[in-house]
Amino acid sequence: MSQDVESKVKSIIVDKLGVDESEVTHEANFTNDLGADSLDTVELIMEFEKEFDISIPDEDAENIATVGNAVEYLQEKVS
Amino acid sequence: MADQQGYGLLKGKKGLIFGALDERSIAWRIALACKREGAEFSLSNAPVALRFGDLDELSEETGAEVFPCDVTNEDEIEELMQNVKEEHGKIDFMLHAIGMSPNVRKKQDYKELNYQWMQQTMDISAISLHKVIRYADEADILADGGSIVALSYIGAHRIFSKYSDMNDAKALLESIARNYGSRLADRGIRVNTVSQAPTRTSAGKGIKGFDGMYTFADKIAPMGNPTADECADYCVTLFSDLTRKVTMQNLYHDGGFVTSGIDEQMINDLAKIYADDEGDE
Repeated sequence: MSQDVESKVKSIIVDKLGVDESEVTHEANFTNDLGADSLDTVELIMEFEKEFDISIPDEDAENIATVGNAVEYLQEKVS
Repeated sequence: MADQQGYGLLKGKKGLIFGALDERSIAWRIALACKREGAEFSLSNAPVALRFGDLDELSEETGAEVFPCDVTNEDEIEELMQNVKEEHGKIDFMLHAIGMSPNVRKKQDYKELNYQWMQQTMDISAISLHKVIRYADEADILADGGSIVALSYIGAHRIFSKYSDMNDAKALLESIARNYGSRLADRGIRVNTVSQAPTRTSAGKGIKGFDGMYTFADKIAPMGNPTADECADYCVTLFSDLTRKVTMQNLYHDGGFVTSGIDEQMINDLAKIYADDEGDE
């Protein structure tokens, strides 16, 4: 399941940000490393919500800055 | 800005306003001006923009209902028009202030455009005008004698390199306005684009080199760049009955930029710059 979350998250990021899969490392920061602007980060959060059928409050969303943050947050939420 | 009391130019008129994000948005200022002039309207923007922006504040301030709608999705537009129909019956005016280019946002060089992104640029920024007019018409909510305005930019005609594929999108937008305008003219429905000067909005900030574009236009235009509030006042006149035969036009609201060449001040300034350059050599 956790592997599943991780691969889904990565595929959303590759698709939304138009980056190469090899760049989507655990430590990669959406803004600094993957070139996301402020609108992209909101779009990513909304895609995660849609994919995992959950709601991510703004205060939680603010703390999701890296690929690893997203994976860990979503693994906890969907477990 | 116009008199705070307004002139009652839109009294009794109903409308639909797309594209307000935050208080700096031109669409936001237009909504406030429409309210001031006595109009009632609904607001719409993409779900992501609703989450990103502050549209609830504008809704509270103007008493306008907000309907989320992704204007690239025909089913959503159809649903939106049904909602607007229930809310207002027919509408007298519609504002299209929608534009976005992934290529600009991702700073993709024009010679190496990502074509999937370019399609999105066209769909969101231009083809959406066709779609919203079409589905409003199919829902039979466009009142005879109404007015549709889309916001454009001089990049449709002259190249502003940092504006990239948005130059192309605005050219298409203006063409759709003319083309559709000709098909609604028999009902007295006007379709125009307003070509506004660079304006300091959140969308503008997303364009690399925006400050340079802003300053260039501001220096060339004899009146300087008009503000979003001034643009709003102009749009109000286009929604009003005072401009009933103005249609299929691209109307410049740019302080005189588009027809200006060079003035004395600039000749002197440039002479100094180049004199300095020569001195450096």
